[in-house]
Amino acid sequence: MTAIVTAQKPSNRAVIGIILGGIGLILAIVTGVQSGAVDLTWGQIWVGLTGDSSEHVQRVIFDIRLPRTLIGLLIGIHFAVSGWLLQLLSRNPLAEPGILGISAGASLIAVIAFVIGDWVVSGANPYNNTSPVLQYLPWFAMAGGLVAAVAVYLLGLRNGQLSPLKMTLTGAVIAGMLHALTTGVLAFWGHAHTELVAQWLAGSLYGAKWDYLFTLLPWTVIGLVGVGLLVKPLKVMQLDDQHVHTLGLKLNRWRAFALLIATLLAASAVGVVGPVGFIGLVIPHISRKLAGANLPVQLVFCVVFGALLTVGADVLGRTLFTPYEVPVGVVSAILGVPFFLYLLSRQS
Amino acid sequence: MIRTEQLSLAYGATPVVNNVSLTIPEGGITCLLGPNGSGKSTLLKSFAGLLPARSGEVLLDDMPVSEWDRRRLALRLAMLPQKPIVPDGILVKDLVALGRFPHRKWWQNNQAGDNRIAFESMVMTGVSELAGRPVESLSGGQQQRVWIAMALAQETSILLLDEPTTFLDWGYQLEVLELLTKLNREHGLTVVMSLHDLNQAAQFADQIAIMAEGQLEVSGSPSEVITETLIRRVFRVETSVSHDDNGRPFCSSYAAAYKGEKSTPYEHRNPMASEA
Repeated sequence: MTAIVTAQKPSNRAVIGIILGGIGLILAIVTGVQSGAVDLTWGQIWVGLTGDSSEHVQRVIFDIRLPRTLIGLLIGIHFAVSGWLLQLLSRNPLAEPGILGISAGASLIAVIAFVIGDWVVSGANPYNNTSPVLQYLPWFAMAGGLVAAVAVYLLGLRNGQLSPLKMTLTGAVIAGMLHALTTGVLAFWGHAHTELVAQWLAGSLYGAKWDYLFTLLPWTVIGLVGVGLLVKPLKVMQLDDQHVHTLGLKLNRWRAFALLIATLLAASAVGVVGPVGFIGLVIPHISRKLAGANLPVQLVFCVVFGALLTVGADVLGRTLFTPYEVPVGVVSAILGVPFFLYLLSRQS
Repeated sequence: MIRTEQLSLAYGATPVVNNVSLTIPEGGITCLLGPNGSGKSTLLKSFAGLLPARSGEVLLDDMPVSEWDRRRLALRLAMLPQKPIVPDGILVKDLVALGRFPHRKWWQNNQAGDNRIAFESMVMTGVSELAGRPVESLSGGQQQRVWIAMALAQETSILLLDEPTTFLDWGYQLEVLELLTKLNREHGLTVVMSLHDLNQAAQFADQIAIMAEGQLEVSGSPSEVITETLIRRVFRVETSVSHDDNGRPFCSSYAAAYKGEKSTPYEHRNPMASEA
């Protein structure tokens, strides 16, 4: 009879969902390498991957499309997992890096670093498209994101306990203020770089290179290890605060750790591709709907579908209107909204 | 054993409990009673170490509860808040299994023994048939039994409950109180709860402590504590108290004692009221 109580197993529906998502992701990656301004044939790709082909094809695959696709995959994971953590922490289904001020804090510091760095280093050549600061942007962005997150967290306390409602409201206000400051910085000092920065702020994978991938990857690893450690405490942290205390969990410590991991994930991604909104909001919702209450399965969903949405959105964004590109942040929002609304309508 | 010594508690600058010295005997059912805002829930929370004492102390096994390690405390004492939060979509068995959390390191998953204990807890509270159902889909009374099952899975000898009957209808209220009595009688569980209904407290409690305006008014057995004068003074209700076959007091034919008066019923504050 005790077989009734066994460890949480993923439902069949969840397993099928993950498999389908995985297949979709592989298709999106392959398509991402194959299509773009110049469509390659499958034969060219095969030869290119096995190393024996023209320099042109190799350059298109290895220098442009592969790193870009992989970075898209990583930032999808970053934003989705960060949003998932923040929604659990704040007990608020609207929480995401954008609404809690993390993305805005990261953007502001990144833009300031961008403008100052460019002015100092390459002031003579304002039309230089590859700013030397870009490589360090994740660090600046993370600093900005962390400061914003800590401020929102501290202001969200009521009598020493986190008030999820107060935290969300504070986050929205601080995010608004930081956005205004970012726009102000651009208006005053952005001049020649406005276009490049605006593209970055829209969340774009244009020009993404291996450097960026290697800048981002350590944070992906740290973030995923951290969230792995958090899975069991998070199960308990969903309960009422008093309940959590009396179950023996050191709530303040774990909450701070979870917030740190969520901030590192979101802010490092903002540093590389700009504040891509929406993924952090919609993917955790989709994951909860498809995975049920099982947190580890939800997390796997976030990883797979976060990656799928960004890679897919990037592929569509650069193939639909070739040779023009629609930033990934724009396409992911356009793709995600209808699906999100569909899920909401089915719920009620 | 829980004991408070001249305990005072406050929320920020607002004092809520003043100078309470109370002993909760092991193995009994203790009910905290009192009007709204009398400090009974606050006092209960302090037993679980959820509020720092402003002065005085809460002692659990003769050690200040504030000095207990949270995890060790969780093995000694479980608490059910007044409005527990049901995690989105969680199943009954998974919620009950959370009660095993303090028995494992934070990275360890529950093992076979944990699952057996969680299952036994569900059997004891009569929810094992509901194991695979989402908690949200259950009735209020069923949910309350699931929460109690989770607390039992924690395998503590003390269970604190903050108004466990407040959001239930009459039938479910009695069901929960009878379940707690059974757990007390058959498993020796020490039960401490805040309640609103005097008659229910009189029927089920071994000890009743009555709070009024942050102070401990009186504590003792139901027949010692429940008297017409005390109820008039503390609860502002005129009653006639009779006793049933077991000698347990029972209040009937009630009416509000100080109709329309804003003043407090306390004699020292309003000498006229005592004549009412």
